[in-house]
Amino acid sequence: MNAPDQATPSSGHLEVTGLCKAFGGVQAVNGFSFDAKPGEIVGIIGPNGAGKTTAFNLVTGVYTPDSGSVVLDGVALGGQRQDEIARQGVGRTFQNIRLFKGLNVLENVMTASDPYADYNFLAAVLSLPAKRRSDRQAAEKAREYLDLVGLRGLEDDRPEALPYGLQRKLELARALALRPKVILLDEPAAGLNPSEVREFIDLVKRLHERFNFTIVFIEHRMEVVMNLSHKLFVMSFGKLLASGAPEAVRRNPEVIEAYIGEEE
Amino acid sequence: MLQNIFFGLSLGAVYSLIAVGFALVFNILKFSNFSHGGVMSFTAYAGYYAYIRLFDGHVSSSWMFFAVVTTAAVIGALTAVAIERVGFRRLRRNQAPVIYYFISSITLGILLENIITIFASSNFYSYPVFFSSDNLSLLGTTFSVADVVTLLVSSASLAGLLLVLYRSKLGLAVRTVSFDVNTASLMGIDADRVVMATFAMSGALGGISGVFLGMNYSLYPQLGQLVVKGFIASVIGGLGSITGAVIGALLLGIVEVALIGMVGSGWMPACVFVIMLVFLLVRPRGISGVIVQEKA
Repeated sequence: MNAPDQATPSSGHLEVTGLCKAFGGVQAVNGFSFDAKPGEIVGIIGPNGAGKTTAFNLVTGVYTPDSGSVVLDGVALGGQRQDEIARQGVGRTFQNIRLFKGLNVLENVMTASDPYADYNFLAAVLSLPAKRRSDRQAAEKAREYLDLVGLRGLEDDRPEALPYGLQRKLELARALALRPKVILLDEPAAGLNPSEVREFIDLVKRLHERFNFTIVFIEHRMEVVMNLSHKLFVMSFGKLLASGAPEAVRRNPEVIEAYIGEEE
Repeated sequence: MLQNIFFGLSLGAVYSLIAVGFALVFNILKFSNFSHGGVMSFTAYAGYYAYIRLFDGHVSSSWMFFAVVTTAAVIGALTAVAIERVGFRRLRRNQAPVIYYFISSITLGILLENIITIFASSNFYSYPVFFSSDNLSLLGTTFSVADVVTLLVSSASLAGLLLVLYRSKLGLAVRTVSFDVNTASLMGIDADRVVMATFAMSGALGGISGVFLGMNYSLYPQLGQLVVKGFIASVIGGLGSITGAVIGALLLGIVEVALIGMVGSGWMPACVFVIMLVFLLVRPRGISGVIVQEKA
């Protein structure tokens, strides 16, 4: 394995069209569409319960869409298992942080790089030299990612013992280890204090410059939304309400009524 | 005294193989896998059969023992993988409640016993004697060679397992899936493969313990019901904890031997179950103190 690859500018094109998902009688996502061009940073905003996280879960295969399509670089992801989708380059973080509590910080990152060290059961059992080398490489890679998000030196700590802000960074490092073409961040700034938020914005910008991947994020904090996104999609009651350049969307009266106005 | 403790340890070592095989699956699917007993019966027979076919039942030497153990381990791994395919994969796909796994595992265990009875009858077979009844003398006490080998082979198998679990990426994947299958899949881990590998490891341990049980108790279809010993050890040690299972099993072995001396072999099992009950009521986390929620 070589140093973290620069994603080629042509990869990471995510097109989501007419996504629908109902839970019982509740139409959580109702014909939602969005797209993210390679290397673009796209924000999805909307009131609570609008179906944003469900949309992420549909893209990553946690749920199967009732209808609609999810296409990454021309390959349809719909109907694939979540691990297959992840291995095709869709990384994500979670609204309510989901780290592996029984593993240490380094191991948490290594879990995601797993697909790249293809294990063979016999080799693992016999602990063959090639196997051991690839294990060691995986650990080195994981350290690199930790370094990138500023968690160097905390490899042996337990994730649940870390402050909240660092847990968010650890989730980010774990998502990086998947070497994603598209990275989905679900409310990455939730629970961070103002100085942490600024730091987080810088971190995302730095990572984006370095890896040039496509980023799609859900966020409520306008500071993050306005600072990061190239393009904005507004979701309301499972549907697309508006989309476009952040400033234009912000001034859209419909959006203000549905969402922003309600908060301020 | 020393001799008794040693005998207890050697007994406990076999129990720890059972308990760890049990704990591995518990860890990952959160249910008590009683089909493990069926696997142990089956492999004990498979080892015996291999011995008869390969060596005509004539040769009895220690390396023959290793050939039989290896065969049993491989057969055990394959059987457990097959059991997972037949009995559990569909349940996992449908995200069935854990109680279904539990019932499925008991069913499969009984099914295996019945299949064995059809083909091998319910007769008792005596297992080949691999080790002459010679004793080793050490520190003024004598130890039976079979006990020494039992202890050594069990420890080596467990050490191998721990190495895989804590020093390899496969082990990391197993631990990851045991914490959170859903998130693990979102990190690109193929849960099916990991579950399969876990069953293979559990089955291999079951195979090794099957041979030891056969050597200790002779061969009959219900031999695998000694899985209960592994279960007791798991409860004492803390369900789902690997180290807890080992500690619980060693303690169980020593306590059993001590109890036989104190209250006789008739009362011993009853006493053991009372101890288990006390643990369940007073300290359900077991010795290890790790809290794993049992769902069925």
